[in-house]
Amino acid sequence: MPYRDLREFLSVLEEEGQLLKHTDPVHPEPDLSAAARAVPNLTDRGPALLFDNIHGYRRGRVALNVVGSWPNHALMLGMDKDTPVKEQFFEFARRWDDYPVPAERRDDAPWQEHTIDEGIDLFQLLPLFRLNRYDVGTYIDKAVVVSRDPDDPDHFGKQNAGIYRIQVKDKATLGIQPLPTHDIGLHLRAAEERGENLPVAIAIGNDPVMTTVSGMPLTYEQSEYEMAGAIQGEPYRIAKAPLTGLDVPWGAEVVLEGEILAGVREIEGPFGEFTGHYSGGRRQPVIRITKVSHRTDPIFEHLYLGMPWTEMDYTLALNTSVPLYQQLKKDFPEVVAVNAMYTQGLLAVVSVKQRYGGFAKAVGMRAMTTPHGLGYCKVMIMVDETVDPFNLAQVMWAMSVKFHPQHDIVTVPNASVLPLDPSSDPAGITHKVVFDATTPIAPETRGHYSQTVDAPADTKKWEDLLKGLIK
Amino acid sequence: MGRPPQRTDQMSDLPTTCARCDSTGTIRVLTTSPVPGAWTMYACSTCTYSWRSTEAAYVSDPATYPAAFKVDPAAIAEMPVVPTVPPRRA
Repeated sequence: MPYRDLREFLSVLEEEGQLLKHTDPVHPEPDLSAAARAVPNLTDRGPALLFDNIHGYRRGRVALNVVGSWPNHALMLGMDKDTPVKEQFFEFARRWDDYPVPAERRDDAPWQEHTIDEGIDLFQLLPLFRLNRYDVGTYIDKAVVVSRDPDDPDHFGKQNAGIYRIQVKDKATLGIQPLPTHDIGLHLRAAEERGENLPVAIAIGNDPVMTTVSGMPLTYEQSEYEMAGAIQGEPYRIAKAPLTGLDVPWGAEVVLEGEILAGVREIEGPFGEFTGHYSGGRRQPVIRITKVSHRTDPIFEHLYLGMPWTEMDYTLALNTSVPLYQQLKKDFPEVVAVNAMYTQGLLAVVSVKQRYGGFAKAVGMRAMTTPHGLGYCKVMIMVDETVDPFNLAQVMWAMSVKFHPQHDIVTVPNASVLPLDPSSDPAGITHKVVFDATTPIAPETRGHYSQTVDAPADTKKWEDLLKGLIK
Repeated sequence: MGRPPQRTDQMSDLPTTCARCDSTGTIRVLTTSPVPGAWTMYACSTCTYSWRSTEAAYVSDPATYPAAFKVDPAAIAEMPVVPTVPPRRA
């Protein structure tokens, strides 16, 4: 730690046996996305993939599934690759509290090596390919998009670095989805109110911490770069993009610069989404790219998404769980851990020590009114503090023996949810539910829970002993 | 995976009909492969659909393209605008 760029992380993955280099020839479609789909189908400990023999490209390279497993996620945090998810969660939460760590400005970024101002053709530079069968075309969906608040352009924290889906519509024309709730959506709104285009810089191929942080639900004035410094434990390196002056990751493979065109909306999508369903076509903003900076033989880092689990579920797992945990813990210190990694927290599991009967149900409903919960937290499962919410075998045990269908369901009618949830009707509205699988306590005295089977004495000692022997 | 590339260049055969929106005469060459002759990419100017000549027929054949994913060119102007365009400040 820290990783200065994607290449450094790939080297560590290779040393740790978590990178698979595929040198046989492959077609852009369907081989690349099929391979990225296949890894999480097989295992949650799978490798990143690096392809360097892509039909039609001389030196094209594509990296996929870079953080697409728990070992790779642990290595992203600089931890042992066998670190259990729950320990990764608590370490992530601890580092989050170190925010902010000031960024390190540099003027020697490797992507300054080559510049293209004329005749830009992104298809020549990068092996762009279709991800899912009925996507409208090729996409860039793991790049860091940087923009500033046109009303306050010098505010570093209001500068946003986020990941948005980007359709490659032409050689130097992109479509983007900046939702009104996104920070870039606020920037675009201000720019359009002013009658101006919105300058953007798009950094492709980054170190894994930046990718992770760019998917975090930070507040409007929080800087992703200062959070990346907190998560990696050292100041994060940034450099000024030459055309727009926007701050971009120092280690990026490629930096695209241009503008979102004010007032322009054009058909975009469908695109296979993280819900396992396509989002329909809509008219969305358009970006014109006018300058490209890149390293020699850049690596195109891309992300497959579709029916969970895919790489996206790993990259967003703790991003979603940690803020929810911290927000709940502020009001209810009895909350032990939050696992909100199912379809970005549409379903979440919370372990909590109950104060009194009915308490866990209240915590479950509170989760629905957190900033993230307003769009997610459709199904909440509450478990005791002794149940590890990241251990689904334990969660299912709690559901099977603690949950009582007559007493333990709370339904909240007509609540808000993200419109991409295909069950919402109308889109954006759904009932929500709390399943309380905690042990009833007074004044709820039902059930027969006085004779729990606890672990034999010294079980923990044997766990540690055997862990060493198995390794 | 691992099979040698076999599909041929179709650059000379500009498709006439967009598989997605069934428009005719709206297809252009988007780009061609850096290694000449390997593939051509096409794009429809009406619905922005794009595809590569080496892809399977399920992306390029208007006759078998699924109805659920077809787009009526007349409906494009009626699609939801996301995000909406705000009024200019006075």
